[in-house]
Amino acid sequence: MPSKACPWPGGLLPLAARLFIAVAICLCSQPGAAEPAGQPPFELSRGDRVVLLGDAIIEREGERGAIETALVATHPGANLTFRNLGWSGDTVWAESRGVFDAPSAGYARLLDLVRGLQPTVVIVAYGRNESFAGAAGLAPFREQLGRLCHDLRRPPREAADAPPTRIVLVTPPPFEAIPPLSAAAATARNAALSDYASAIRDVALEQGAGIVDLFGAVEAQLPAGARLTENGVHLSDAGYDAAAAVFAAACGKPLSGDFAGRTAAIRTAVNEKNRLFFHRWRPANETYLFLFRRHEQGNNAVEIPQFDPLVEAAEATVRTLAQESP
Amino acid sequence: MPLASPLRALLSALLVVATVAPVASAQRALTDIPVPDPAAELEAMEVAEGYEVNLFATDPAIRKPLQINFDPRGRLWVSSSSVYPQLRPGEIPDDTVTILDDTDGDGVADVSQVFASGLHMPTAVLPGDGGCYVANATEMLHLADTDGDDRADLRRTVLSGFGTEDTHHLIHTFRWGVDSRLYFNQSIYIHSHVETPSGVRRLNGGGMWRFHPSTLELDVFARGWVNPWGHAIDPWGRSLVTDGAGGEGINLGFPGAAYFTAVGTPRILHGMNPGSPKLCGLEILSGAHLPDDAQGTLVTHDFRANRVCRYRLTESGSGFESEKLPDLIRSSRVDFRPIDVKTGPDGAIYIADWYNPIIQHGEVDFRDDRRDRTHGRIWRVTAKGRALVPRFDATKLANGELIDLLTADGWARDAARRVLVERGIDEVGPDLDDWSAAARRAVPGSAGYHAGLERRCLELLWLRQGLDDGSTAAIDGALLSRVLTSPDPRARAAAARVVVDWADRLGKPGVGPDGSLGPIDLLAPTVDDENAAVRLEGVRALAAVGRRLDPGSPEARRAAALALHAVDRPRDDALDYAVWLAARDLEPAWLPALLAGSFDDGGKIGRVLFAIRAAETTAASGWMMEQWQQAGIDGAKLTGADIDALLHAVALLGTAEHLRHVFDVALAADTPPAKSASLLGHLAESQRKRKVAPAGDLAGLTRLLTSPDAALESAAVDAAGVWQVEAAAATLERIAADVDRPLVRREAACRALGNLPGQAAHDALAALGAGPTTPEPLVAAALSSLVGRSLDDASTITAAWLATGPGDGAIHEVMRAFLGARGAADRLAQALAPTTLAPSTARTALQDVTAAGRPEPGLTAVLERAAASTSGRTMTAEERAWILARVGTGADAGRGRELYRRENLRCLACHRIDREGGRVGPNLTAIGSAAQPDYLLESLLDPAKNVKEGYGSLVVVTTDGQVTSGIPVSRSDTELVLRNALDKEVRLQLADIDEEAPGTSLMPAGLVDGLSKEEIADLVRYLSSLGR
Repeated sequence: MPSKACPWPGGLLPLAARLFIAVAICLCSQPGAAEPAGQPPFELSRGDRVVLLGDAIIEREGERGAIETALVATHPGANLTFRNLGWSGDTVWAESRGVFDAPSAGYARLLDLVRGLQPTVVIVAYGRNESFAGAAGLAPFREQLGRLCHDLRRPPREAADAPPTRIVLVTPPPFEAIPPLSAAAATARNAALSDYASAIRDVALEQGAGIVDLFGAVEAQLPAGARLTENGVHLSDAGYDAAAAVFAAACGKPLSGDFAGRTAAIRTAVNEKNRLFFHRWRPANETYLFLFRRHEQGNNAVEIPQFDPLVEAAEATVRTLAQESP
Repeated sequence: MPLASPLRALLSALLVVATVAPVASAQRALTDIPVPDPAAELEAMEVAEGYEVNLFATDPAIRKPLQINFDPRGRLWVSSSSVYPQLRPGEIPDDTVTILDDTDGDGVADVSQVFASGLHMPTAVLPGDGGCYVANATEMLHLADTDGDDRADLRRTVLSGFGTEDTHHLIHTFRWGVDSRLYFNQSIYIHSHVETPSGVRRLNGGGMWRFHPSTLELDVFARGWVNPWGHAIDPWGRSLVTDGAGGEGINLGFPGAAYFTAVGTPRILHGMNPGSPKLCGLEILSGAHLPDDAQGTLVTHDFRANRVCRYRLTESGSGFESEKLPDLIRSSRVDFRPIDVKTGPDGAIYIADWYNPIIQHGEVDFRDDRRDRTHGRIWRVTAKGRALVPRFDATKLANGELIDLLTADGWARDAARRVLVERGIDEVGPDLDDWSAAARRAVPGSAGYHAGLERRCLELLWLRQGLDDGSTAAIDGALLSRVLTSPDPRARAAAARVVVDWADRLGKPGVGPDGSLGPIDLLAPTVDDENAAVRLEGVRALAAVGRRLDPGSPEARRAAALALHAVDRPRDDALDYAVWLAARDLEPAWLPALLAGSFDDGGKIGRVLFAIRAAETTAASGWMMEQWQQAGIDGAKLTGADIDALLHAVALLGTAEHLRHVFDVALAADTPPAKSASLLGHLAESQRKRKVAPAGDLAGLTRLLTSPDAALESAAVDAAGVWQVEAAAATLERIAADVDRPLVRREAACRALGNLPGQAAHDALAALGAGPTTPEPLVAAALSSLVGRSLDDASTITAAWLATGPGDGAIHEVMRAFLGARGAADRLAQALAPTTLAPSTARTALQDVTAAGRPEPGLTAVLERAAASTSGRTMTAEERAWILARVGTGADAGRGRELYRRENLRCLACHRIDREGGRVGPNLTAIGSAAQPDYLLESLLDPAKNVKEGYGSLVVVTTDGQVTSGIPVSRSDTELVLRNALDKEVRLQLADIDEEAPGTSLMPAGLVDGLSKEEIADLVRYLSSLGR
C-alpha cells in the first residue's frame, strides 16, 4: 500500500523536491541531466488556461467537478479556465481516441485538440490503465509519457514565441480493496501501480513538470470510514473531494473547513460548463458531422460551435461565483 | 490516402453512401406525412388471422419509445428519447424512463409513472437491482429507487466509455441472460473503451457485451453485425440475434464468434436467412395464451416496411434452420415503426412502436420538420378467443414457488429467476439445495422421472450461476455433472458454458459431492458427444477455459487436445468455425508442445493438421516433414489420406525447402494426376499468400504443361505463371497458339505467359493480341496480360482492336486490365484519342470505368465523346414521373422479370434473388418490401447515388502497381478479401497493399440506357414486387 504520509503540504519540502534531490545526486555526473532551475512548482497564475487530460479519472471529474472547483475557488479573481479532455480507458498512447483510426491518429488528434485550446497549463493524469501491463509495460509507458510531455509543451507554430505550456503530472489514486476488488487483487495491482506512480514522478522531474501525487497522498485526505472508490477503481464522491484536497495542497492552497459546502454553487456552475463543453469537443454523431458520412449530415456541424458561447457564458458564471467565494 | 486502421478502411468502404435499404432515400422525398391518430393506425393494420391488436399506451405518457422490458411485478419499463438524433445547442437533455402498469387487467395501461428524467438518449432500459439499468450515451447508469415512490433517487455510473459516433448505434438491447448476466449490444460505428476493475475492455465496431453487475466483469460475447437490435435467448440458453442493417435474418450467436462486419478475423459466421429485410427487436413466443402453432416462433420487426414478422426455427446440425412465416402485422401507414417486442405478464405480445415517418438520421436532416419527436405507441397483440395468463407479482412469491416457475413460459420464467437472483444465495440457498437434491435424484428410469426434468435441472444450474458470488456457495458440482450428462443434448450443450464461469473453482474443495472433477475433466466428454451442438459448445468452453491457463501447463495442452477431438467428425459451418477458433485461441498451448513432441493428438494427425492450418502457422513445417519422413519408414502409422493431408498442409505453410519436397512429389511419375494438380494448386497458393516458392530450379514443371489430364495441365500452367518459370515460355506460347486446344486452356496459357519475364513472352503476347485471326477471348487474355508488362504496346494494340468493335465480354476483360494498373487508363486514353470507336463499344467500356469505383477523367472523356449518348442522369423529372406513374398502372412485372434476366443488363450477374445470382451487389430477394419505386428508379439510373451499407467499394493499390476494386468481404491481420465486380473473391495480402481508399458503387451507370421508358417501368415494377 502507498504511504499515507502527506507528501506536499504547504511549507514542507515537497516530495517532488525531495525526490529530485535524490535523483539529482544520482544523475549529477551524467551530462544532460535535468537542471534544478527547470523544476517549476505546480502553481496557477492569473488567466491560466488549464487543460485536464487523462482517463476516466479525469472524464468523470467532468461530472463531479470537485478538483476543478477546488482550484477555481482557491484562486478567486484569477480567472482560471478549465477544459476537461478526459476519456475513459485512455492511455499515454491515446488508445481511446483513435475513433475510426489507429491510436496513433488519435494521439495526433489529441495534440491538435490541446493546441487548439492554447492552454498555459496541461494537467496529465495517466498510468492506471497502463499499469495492467505490469513490469513489461513500465519502460514503454515511461518513454511515451515523456514524449507526451514533450509534445504537449511545444507551442503551436503560430505562437512560437509564447512561453511553453506548463505540464503537471498526476499519479493515479491507488486501487481500493472493496467489492468487487478483493484484498489480494488490490494489493497486487497496487504493487504494479506503485512502479507506474514512481515512473510518473521520475518523468515529472526529467521534464521539469509539476506533480500531484494522488497515489501517495489521496488516502490521507479521506475522512475516516469513507471509501475512496465506488468499485475499487473509480473515485467515489468522497474520493474526488480527497483528490481535490490533494490538488489544492499541491499548489499551495490547502482546503479548509467545510469547503464543499461553501463552494456548492461554484461546483454546480462548473459541472454545467463541463457538460456543455463535452458536447462541444466530443459531440455525438461525429461520423455524420465530421467524418466519412459528413456528405449526409455535415451541414449540421454548424451547430457544434454554437456551444462555444454557451460554454463561455457558463464559464462567466463560474468566474463570478469564484470571485464572490468566501 | 493511406488508412492506418483496418477498421477505418473497412468502415469507409462499408458506408460510402446510404442504401438500397431504400426507404432511407425514399424518405428524403417523403411528402405525405400522416396525421398521428391511433384509431386510424389501428385501422391500417392487417393482422394475422386469429389475432387482434389494441392500444396499450400512447403519448403523452410515452414519447418515442426505444426499448421496453417488463419487471418481475409485471410492469412495463419504457425508455424514450425526444433528444434523438442530436442534442441541440442549449437544449438540456431530458429524456425519460417511464413505468407503465395495467392494474385492472383490461389490456390498457392505467398507471404511467416517470421513473427518471434528465437522460441523454436512453437507448435501453432494463429493470433490476432496485431500479433499472439505462443506456445513457457514453455510459451505463443504474438508477435506483431507495424509498419506494417509483422515482429514481440514486444515480450511479456503472460503466462508462461507450462511443457515440452514431446515435442509432449507441449501446442498446439490454437483457438479462439465463446466466443472469446483463447482455447488451453496440452497433458498427461505436468504439468503446470501458474501465473495469480487471482492466480496460475495448470493442471497436459492432458486437455483444456480457456484463456481471456485481463483479463488474465485462467481456465481449460476440463481435460483428451492423445494428444488432434484437437479442432473444431460447429456453435452452441459445442466443438469437437480429440485425437492423444486415440482411441475414436470424443469427445464432455463441461465445467468441464473429459475424458480418467483424474486423480483425479472416473468417465470420452468417445468419440463417440471407436476403432478409433488416430486422429490429426479437422475442420468442411462448405461454398458454398463445395458440400451439405460435409456440417457439420468433417475432421481430421489418420496421422499414411497417410490419411485424415471424420466423420458425428448426434444430439442424449444431444450430438451426430458420424459416420465414407469414407476417403478424402489416400496416399501410408509413409511421408505424415497430422496434421492440416483449411477452407480457398476461401472455400477450407487446410491441413498441417508435411512431415516425422518418426512420433514421443519416439520410434526413437532424432538424427536419417531418421528424416526429413527440409520439409513440405500445400495441398489445392478443390471440382471439383465448384466455389470458393470470398475472401475478413475482416479488411476492416464496422461493419454492419461484423455483417452480423457472420452467414456466414467457415472462414468468425470467421474472422468477430475476427475483431469486436478487434475493441472493444466503436467502435462496437452503431452498435451492432441496430442489437441487431432488432434481439430481430424478434420473431417467427413476420413479416419477419425466423429460421435463431435464430443463428443470438446467434452470436450477443457471439459477446457481446467477447466484454465484465468487465464493463456492452457489456452486453445485453434482448438479453440473448431472446436466452435463443429461439425456437431452440441449441441456448438455448449455451446461458446457456454465463450466467456463465456474472453472476457477471446480475441482477444488467445497463445490459439492461430485465436485472433484476439474473443468477440463467435466468438458472432456462434450467434444465426442453424438450431438453437434454439444460438441460446438464443448469446444468453445474448452477454448475459454484453456485460454485462462498458463499455456505451458499440461492442463492447457489437454484443453487444446480435447477441443481438436471435434475434428474427427463431420462439421457443419458453425462447428467447423468453433474448432477453427479454438485452434487459434489455444495455439500458445498446443504449438510449442507439438514442436517439443509432447502434444497428444490421439494418434490422429488430422487433428494437428487442422490446427496448423487454422492457426496458419509456418512454425510446424519441420514437424510435418518429420512425420512424413517417419511415415516412409513406418508407413502403417499414417494412412494415405493422412499423408495427402500432410503434404497439402506443408504445401500451404512449409519453408521453401519443404515446399520443394512437395513439388517433387507433384512431379513424380507415379503420383496420380489429380493429386499432382491439387498439390500444385496449394503450392501456388503459398506463393500468392506468403511469397514462398519451392526451392531450386522449377523448370521440371514444364513437363506437366502438356499433361493429358486437363486439371493437371491447368494447375501446371497456373503454377508456371505464378512462379515465373521462364523455361515454360516456349511451351506456353505453343499452347496459346494451338488452334486444336480448347480456348480456355489457351487463355490460361496466355495469362501464365503474361507473368513470365523476358522478351519472348512479350512478343508472343503482342502477336496474339494483334493477330487478326486470334479468337476474341484469347485477344482479351493476351492484351490483359500485356498491360502489366508493356503499357505502350498494350495501349496501341488495344486501341486498334477496340476500333474493330469486339464483343462486350472481351471489352470488359481488357478494360478491367487497364483500369487495374496504375496510370494505365490515362495511357489508353492517349492511344484512343485519334481512334474512332463505335458508340456501343465506348458505352460498354464506360461501364467498366464506372465499375472501377474511382474517377478516371481522361479515359471517361474520350469514351463519352465516342459514346455520344445520353446517360440516365439527364432524364428529365417529367420522364421520371411518367415512368413512376406507369409502374403504378400499366407496367408488367413479368416483362420486367425477363428484362432482369437479360444478359446484357447484367442484373443477375451481380444481384441475388432467392438462391440465384451473384453477390457483388445487394441481395434483392425482398427489395420490394422496403424500397419505394422512386428509389428503385433512381438506383437504376444513377447507381452511385445510393450505395447500400456494406456495398461501398474499396480501391486498393498493391505494391506491384495493381489496382483492385471490390466490396470488402473480410479482413484479418494479414489478408484483405474483396469481392470484385465479377463476383469473384480476390485475396490481397496486407503486406502487399500500398494504398486503400473508399470507392463508389461498383454498379455501372447507364445499364438501362438501352431500354425504353416502358421497359424501365416494367423492370421497376418487377423489383417492387419482390418480397411483397
